[in-house]
Amino acid sequence: MAELLVQQLVNWITLGCIYALLAIGFSLIFGVLNVIHFSHGDVAMTAPFISLALVQLLATAVGVSGPAWLIVAALAAALAVGVIGIVLDKTVIRRFRDAPAMMALVATVALGIVIRELIRHLYPQGSNPHAFPRLVSGVAFEVGTVPISWFALLVVLLTIALVALLFFFLKMTPLGLRIRAASEDRVIARMMGIRDTRVFRATFFIASAIGAIAGLLFASYAGVTRFDFGVMAGLLGFSAAVIGGLGSMPGAILGGLIIAGIEVLAQTFVPDGASYRLVFVFLLVIVVLIFRPAGLLGRPVMEKV
Amino acid sequence: MHAPASSVAPGTGQAIAFTVLSQLAGAAFLYFVLKAEGGWQIVGLLALLGAGFYLLERLPWITDYAMASMARVPLVTFATAAVVVLGFPFVVGSNTYVLHLLIVAQLYAVLALALNFQLGSANIPNFATGASYGIGAYVSALLAINFGLSFWLTLPLAALAATLFGFVIGIPSMRTRDTYLALVTIAFGVVVQQLLNNFDWTGGPNGLVGIPAPSLFGHSFADPLVVFGWKLPSQANFYYLSAALVVVAIITAHRLHGSRIGLAWNALRADEIAAKAQGINVAWYKVLAFAVDAFLAAFAGTIYAFYVSYISPDNFTFLVSVTIMTMVIVGGMDNIFGVIVGAFLLTILPEKLRAFADYRLLFFGVVIIGFLMIRPQGLFPQRMRRYGGEP
Repeated sequence: MAELLVQQLVNWITLGCIYALLAIGFSLIFGVLNVIHFSHGDVAMTAPFISLALVQLLATAVGVSGPAWLIVAALAAALAVGVIGIVLDKTVIRRFRDAPAMMALVATVALGIVIRELIRHLYPQGSNPHAFPRLVSGVAFEVGTVPISWFALLVVLLTIALVALLFFFLKMTPLGLRIRAASEDRVIARMMGIRDTRVFRATFFIASAIGAIAGLLFASYAGVTRFDFGVMAGLLGFSAAVIGGLGSMPGAILGGLIIAGIEVLAQTFVPDGASYRLVFVFLLVIVVLIFRPAGLLGRPVMEKV
Repeated sequence: MHAPASSVAPGTGQAIAFTVLSQLAGAAFLYFVLKAEGGWQIVGLLALLGAGFYLLERLPWITDYAMASMARVPLVTFATAAVVVLGFPFVVGSNTYVLHLLIVAQLYAVLALALNFQLGSANIPNFATGASYGIGAYVSALLAINFGLSFWLTLPLAALAATLFGFVIGIPSMRTRDTYLALVTIAFGVVVQQLLNNFDWTGGPNGLVGIPAPSLFGHSFADPLVVFGWKLPSQANFYYLSAALVVVAIITAHRLHGSRIGLAWNALRADEIAAKAQGINVAWYKVLAFAVDAFLAAFAGTIYAFYVSYISPDNFTFLVSVTIMTMVIVGGMDNIFGVIVGAFLLTILPEKLRAFADYRLLFFGVVIIGFLMIRPQGLFPQRMRRYGGEP
């Protein structure tokens, strides 16, 4: 029993960190643009494909391969996805920032379809699942008899590092200050001489790159990636961001841990829970939003007259 | 260029000629789109459609003229519409694929009209229309298979079940709003779809098979329809059934739009706090919008289940709800005619894009994004309410 508990605890933390990283992207973009970027999950899940392609390119064109080059490819993919985020913002998403919320939602859902179809067509045999290797392998240490893998450790440490970096960036740097100002009130920020195009660019790069890392970790955790993984990644990340409170970074992390917690609990303790896990997750979302309509750590919505 | 207001009012003869000819032209266009094969024909017809909307946009008096002439001779308008709708299967003949497309388009038109009560009239997001549609389909199918109830009995029972579901989704809408409410409805939709996918008694992912065909006055809907010696394929039965449902939905939508309920929904859309201050029971009207949506969606679901006689959870996913929502937005929110056009366009277009084979979903996504960027108000934007003495 204790072994099972420790094992599930590790699963929970690992999955929770991945969801938290996805949720941060949703929250960040919503905070600045007031737009739900529903295709964020799909953008994130392009990263495993890009890094697989890069690994193959490195192997055939340069003739190098191995675990170290996988990491290099993954990092390059994260940066590339950040750039994809900027491009999507410039071409599509930015135009919907002043449109009714539903318009943006539908447009980004359509954008998600386009991204998925592009992966399917551009990647060789894109309709099939593709095996994705563990970014790091091996056992770091054992708790009792339960082995803790380097991968789980990597996920946790990477998440802590990224979150710390993001907090430092938002609180301490001039650009972070501008992002926070724009998310507080875009019009006033403009009046104070903040160029919102730069703010958008930075926000989308950061959110998409962090999402890409989450996508890579997710594919690595599942051991496989497929062109339509982005739908569920998007739905779960979005749910995590919303129940945590949109626009709140601690909320996004909390939301990710809660969603992952329910999923792991359902899988472990409910008979046949694996197939019902989404039911539990979304019932929880409904319950949380009934009692905390603006999310757990969200700012309550003020009705202005 | 703009015609003065007085010349917009057409004479009776002109009005009759215009309404008859314009409806016939619309029907002919639909016929050619349905019959079109190959990429270039589709592209050509789409270009024609685009040119038509461009013309409407540049010369707004055409719309006024059309509205005025239809209002002038309502009987002729309805008679022409009835002849066109009733006569279409005769023109199509034995082409069952075209009839199938029309049935699906009509069912989607009902779903889009149902969603329009919330999204269009009251501006409440709802991504659970697909779930209500699925509940209608499953409840009626289960009743028919397990208890042998006839189609006509399952119809109201399915609608009742879905309406209860609508009330349940409506309850969180009293507290949450906008994006948060959107997520609640998405969550409800996913929960329903996942449950249908996992329960044993709903057939799990395999769904339900062998839903019996309905019959009316001893005529089974699975048999070909024989009218005055004309033999129409069995799909014609369901074509007329779904057409009848569209008519019911239009009348419901029109009556609700004209009633105090429709006015209350519009007030909600304009400003919730102001509506509350005017004594409108905001919570009740929001919940009501969800219930009406689920009620109509269940009708469409029931007909769908009995028509294809096989349903599975894949027919009622989140993407179905998004498609319905896209129909409302593309057609024009709170515009009954526009919503129906949107539903037909978005049902038939993806089917016709089969000419682009594997790329059609990609094309579809690009078209929707492009459309939302170029014409966010929809094909037929909502019209101002008119009070009192309409001409």
